[in-house]
Parts: sequence; C-alpha cells; structure tokens
Amino acid sequence: MITQLPIINLLLFLGMALIIPLFKKRSFSLTTNLGLGVLFLVWISSIVLLYHVITEGAFYYQLGNYDRMLGIELLINTFSVLFSLFIVSLVIIIYIYSTGDATEGVAEKEYGRYYILLFILLFAMLGILYTNDLFNTYVFMEILSITTVSIISIKRKKENYTAAFRYVMLNEVGSLSYLFGVALLYMITGYTNIELVSEGVQSGWSLYPANILTAIGFMVTGIGIKAAIFPFHIWLPDAHSTAPSSSSAILSAVVVKVYILIMIKILFRVFGIDIIQAVHIPTVLLVIASIGMIMGSIFAIAQTDVKRMLGYSSVAQIGYIVMGIGMVSMLGLQAAFFHIFSHGLMKAALFLSVGAVIYHKKIRNVNEFDGIGFQMPVAMFVFSIAALGMIGVPLTTGFISKLNLGLAALDAGQVVLIVVLIVSGFLNALYYLPIMISAFLKDNKDQQRVMRVEKIPKTMLVPLVVLGGLIIAIGLFPGELLSLLEAAALSLT
Amino acid sequence: MNDIIIKSITRLIIPFIQLYGVYIILHGHVSPGGGFAGGAMIGTSLVLYTLVFGIDKSKQKFSHRVSEYAESGGILLYVSLGLIGIVITGSFLTNIEAGFPIGNPGSVLSGGMIPLLMVGIGIKVASTFITLFHTLIEEEVV
Amino acid sequence: MSFLDALIDHINYIGAMALFVIGLHTVVTHSNLIKRIMGINIMGTAVFLFFVAIGNVTGGVPPIIDQTNPDAVYINPLPSVLILTGIVVVVSITVYSLSLVIRIYETHGTIDQEEIAKMTSEDRDQ
Repeated sequence: MITQLPIINLLLFLGMALIIPLFKKRSFSLTTNLGLGVLFLVWISSIVLLYHVITEGAFYYQLGNYDRMLGIELLINTFSVLFSLFIVSLVIIIYIYSTGDATEGVAEKEYGRYYILLFILLFAMLGILYTNDLFNTYVFMEILSITTVSIISIKRKKENYTAAFRYVMLNEVGSLSYLFGVALLYMITGYTNIELVSEGVQSGWSLYPANILTAIGFMVTGIGIKAAIFPFHIWLPDAHSTAPSSSSAILSAVVVKVYILIMIKILFRVFGIDIIQAVHIPTVLLVIASIGMIMGSIFAIAQTDVKRMLGYSSVAQIGYIVMGIGMVSMLGLQAAFFHIFSHGLMKAALFLSVGAVIYHKKIRNVNEFDGIGFQMPVAMFVFSIAALGMIGVPLTTGFISKLNLGLAALDAGQVVLIVVLIVSGFLNALYYLPIMISAFLKDNKDQQRVMRVEKIPKTMLVPLVVLGGLIIAIGLFPGELLSLLEAAALSLT
Repeated sequence: MNDIIIKSITRLIIPFIQLYGVYIILHGHVSPGGGFAGGAMIGTSLVLYTLVFGIDKSKQKFSHRVSEYAESGGILLYVSLGLIGIVITGSFLTNIEAGFPIGNPGSVLSGGMIPLLMVGIGIKVASTFITLFHTLIEEEVV
Repeated sequence: MSFLDALIDHINYIGAMALFVIGLHTVVTHSNLIKRIMGINIMGTAVFLFFVAIGNVTGGVPPIIDQTNPDAVYINPLPSVLILTGIVVVVSITVYSLSLVIRIYETHGTIDQEEIAKMTSEDRDQ
C-alpha cells in the first residue's frame, strides 16, 4: 500500500485541480478548505514515505507495469521524498497565508482559477521530483512553466503581461534546449529512463564524446535559464515582483529550487561526477555562481521597489546553491541542499511579511518603510529575522548554510570562494539593514513612535510566526536535518 | 459573415467533420491518429461554426460551463481508468493485466482500455480547442 | 568518405541544427513579439525534426502491425510518440503567448518590444 502513495499524491493534486471548476458556484471557503485537506493528506503521506524510504530503502514504481525500457518509471528515494516533503510543507504555510491575504490584487472571480493553477503547479513539482525519466521531466517542466506564467499574469495589470511574456519566451528557449539535449542522449543510448541513459552515457563516453558534450551544454544551459542562474536571470525580478505576494513566495522559495534540483539530478545521476569533471562543468558553475552572488546583491542595492529587491536577492542566493553544487563533493552538495531549505524558508518569510505590509499600507518603495515596525510589529519582526538570516547572523538557518558552504570550500581547497561568501554577506547587509533600521528606529512622517498596531487576520499572522520560528529553530538545531540531507545526497549516486 | 453559401455549406459539412473526428478517435489504436488528432478535428469543426455563425450563437450551442465540465470530465475519465489498475494489480494505468479484454489485434474492439483512454483525451482536446478559441475571440481588441 | 557524402548523410541533423539557430536568432534579436513567438515555433520544429530523424530506420515501414507481412522492419515509433507530446506542449505555449500578446496590445497599444521597454522605463521614472 505504501508503494502506491507517490502516485496517489500526484493524483490528489491533479484531482483537486480538476474538481475546483466543477463546483465553482459553491462557496469559496469550501474550495479552500478542501484544498487544505488535500495538502494535509499529501503532507502526511510524504512523511510516511520518508519514514518508509529511510527504514526500507528506495523503491521504483512502474506505471502500467511496463518495462522501464518503454514505460515511465518513478523513483522514490530520500532525495525525492525529502524535497517533496519540503515543498508541500512550505506550500501549506503559504497556502494558509494566501486564504487570509485574499491573494492580493487578484480579482474575486479569479480565485477559483488561482487555486486550480496552484494545484497543477504542485502536481508538476512533485512529478518532477518523483520521475525517473528524462522526457517525463520535460513534460512536467512545461506544465510547471505554463502554470507559473499564468500565475504571474493573473493580476491583469500592464507590467504583469510584459513580465509574463518575457518569462514565457526565455523559459521556452530553456526547455527546448533541454529537449534537444534529451534527443542527443536518446540518439546514443536509445532510452529516456535516467538510469539506462546513465549506463549508456558511461559506456558511450569514449565513443561519442562530441554528442555527450553537446548534450551537457544544451541541458545545463536550458535548465540554467529556467533556474535563473546568473547570466540568465533577467526574467526573474520582473516576474517574481509583479505576481501576487503569496505566489511570489511560492515562485521564489519553491519553483526555482525545483529547476535546480533537476539540474542536480542531471549532473549527478545522468552524467556522473567523472564526466562533468572531465568537461569542466564544476569550474564553470563556480565562476558563474561567484559572479552571480556579487552581481545579484549589487543589483538589489540599486532597487527601490522592495519586491524587485527581493527578486534580485534571489538571484544572489541561487548563486550560493550553485556554488555548493559546483564543488562536486558530498559536503558541497549537502551545503547546497541545506541552503535550498534555508533560502526557501527565509524567502517565503520575506515575501509574506512584505506582502502583509503591501496589503495593509499599500507601500512598495524601500524609502517609505519609516516607522512601519510600530504599526505592523509581527510582520516586520519576522522580516528582520529572515533578513538577518540572509545576512548570515548566527542563530539563523542562513548562518548554518554559510558555515557549511565555507567548510565545503575549505575542504575543496578553494579559499577564494570564502572571500566571495564574506563579500556577498556584507553586500546583503547593505540592502537589508536599512529597511530594518528605518522600520524600527525612524519616525513616521505623520505620527510619532507610538504603537498603533494594525489588525492583521490570524490566518496571515500564524504562518508568519511559524516561518520565523522555523528559521530560528533549524538555525539552533540543524543536526537532524543535516543528517537527512546527507542521506539525500548519498542517494543520488 | 452573412453569406448564404458559406452558411449552408458549413451546416452541411460540420457533421461529416465531426464524424471523421470520432472515427479517428475510435481507431486511434489500430491506425495513425488517436485522441489528440480526432479531438482537434472535432474542436476545429466547432471553431468553424463560431467563425461562420458568430460567437453568440456558438455560445448557445457550447457554453463555457459545458466546456469546463467536458475538460475536467475528460481527464477524470482517464484518471479513473487508471485507478482501476491500482485496485486490481497495484500499478497505475495497467492495461491487459487489469482485466481489460485484449480482443483481436487490428479490430476496433482491441487494445484493452486504450480506446476508452482515447475517448477521454478526445473529449478533453475538443473542449480545450473550443475554449481557447472562444477565450481568444472574446478578448476583442479595443 | 568525402565531405559531400558526410553532408548528405547527416543532412537531417544539420538541418535541425540550422533551424534551431534560426529560431534562436529570431527569438533573441527581433523586437516584434509575434515574430518572437514564431521563433519559438521554429526552434520547436527543429527539435522535433531531430527527434523524429533519430527514430528512422533505413528501409523501415510505418509501425502498424501488418499480419500479411510478419517480418517487416518497423520504424522506431517511440520518438514519434514523444514528439506528439512535444507538439501539444508547443501548441499550448503558442496559444498562451498569443493571448498575452493580445493583452499587451490592449494595454500598451503596441507589440514592439523596444517601445514597450521605453514605456515601462518611463513609468518607473515617474
């Protein structure tokens, strides 16, 4: 029975998305409650799966009992289950918030559509993690990009359309490049199943190096565009800043991470460490990551719109994750995984707290945050925790991930990377600290520093507090998570 | 468009297009074609109707509500056929092993549940085509 | 084997690659949004052509079981089936981006990328 859980998870999300249009006439709260129920069911089943995988080991699931040479195969190992659990938990928190915030800026009759898109998004993300097939990954990736772009353009404003158009163009270039890579691999191996392709690639490396080299180039570039790795980041700030706040949180904290996870899967499971080192992918990744970490932060300093600033900050943080991957060591991979977790938590907290401020005070400009801390103490307090985490202050998850990255860099003997880490942390402080200072220490124009707390709905407060608590809790006790992540990194090879 | 020739010919030709679409859907497993191609044909016939008789009349025949139900229903049919596989053999979308009759290769009643899946896909594709076209045509450029 | 023979033997791969680059060039350099969508379509066609060309078997027949000819050599049907999925995906992406273009024309009054960029930068300055 437990082995059926992955497909049931997928079908629950798909079914939920299909059922919403059928009872559109009914009350809206019924839809959201049912959706929450589905999310909790999947959460529980993900925990069960995680326990099962840790105690009994990974297992395969053949759709339709077809042989893996022909059919689609799901691989359920620590890597896929741990990250699907992460995605579902984070989305539950953001989902609860989105029911209170009424998905800022979305027209009332669009709510149903918003939740349809959200559940298809979840379906695609879980599918990408579970699947063990390159072409199936492509199909899920396309579902993911269509739903993402619809969520970006759901607000029906001028800038949303242009941001969505730019997103769809670049992402389509990315996914077609990926498909070209899959075609090149199919040409030499004759399979699309990741493990069979991997065997074929290892044995065919000496015969067809040009083919495999081209395939690596196409696939890494394609996924790099979709994951907004530095030179391809131009679509990210516009797309993430114009979307409704709760979906900005999902896009920035979860969706981009999924593409990075695909990249990890391709580099480590399809090609293997030997081949990617032979074609110097690690060096390329490390250089790109270092430039991205510095340039993303510099762009962020120049922004006045707070959500665009957070978008550029995501570009810099993706650099950290790519740096961890580029070290191609167990420690580096573990640090990258940990940063995926911690950046997910911190970015979600930042976007949601800023979303609460935007929802109540209608301000987006960085310079208008004077004295907000006295009117919305909880939101700004969570913002401060997350911002300190971004800077890398001890007691937060951000510190642990930087520590791990630094240790991995020392282990790899790359002292330059530690300098880059420190400079990037310093640059982060340059744009996060002014907001905190003006929120808590400056006077508002029309009123003195008196507590005039704005009423925020409980459904918005609780997720914020939970996120802030999790950032500190995991920052204090990272041991359990780190050992899980080590198991996940081991399950890749 | 108020041309009598176009209107009469459209009226005459639409049943044949749709019949051919149904034929393609049902023969998807024994000859080239299948759910997507046949569904696209049926969808195109409705697009033709919209082009000739206008969006209002077409909406009466095939409203958004209906196409929403059809779209969800098409996939739900597919998913529920897959669930039969889970219940009987423990694997999603199992075909012959889940007890679907295999029939004689080459005849219409063969291939287990594949014709049924094709019907689901056909419904889904046809309704998606018409929904897309209606949505695009309704967004009149000001 | 002379250069010409190599060229003719690999004409489908070379053609696919050329189409891919033409499409990419269109997407990146043209400022007309409709032309960029066309570029995406050309790129898609290139990938599909490449994929289908891989599945070809010299002297093969279409993979429909023919009981009168039991030892026929069939073309590999798997790439064609995969590409069917790919075509559906590109169709939906095309439709979605076309509807976005309609919306952009409604709100901006133009479908030229450079003019739109000028308008957005003016908006931001205000």
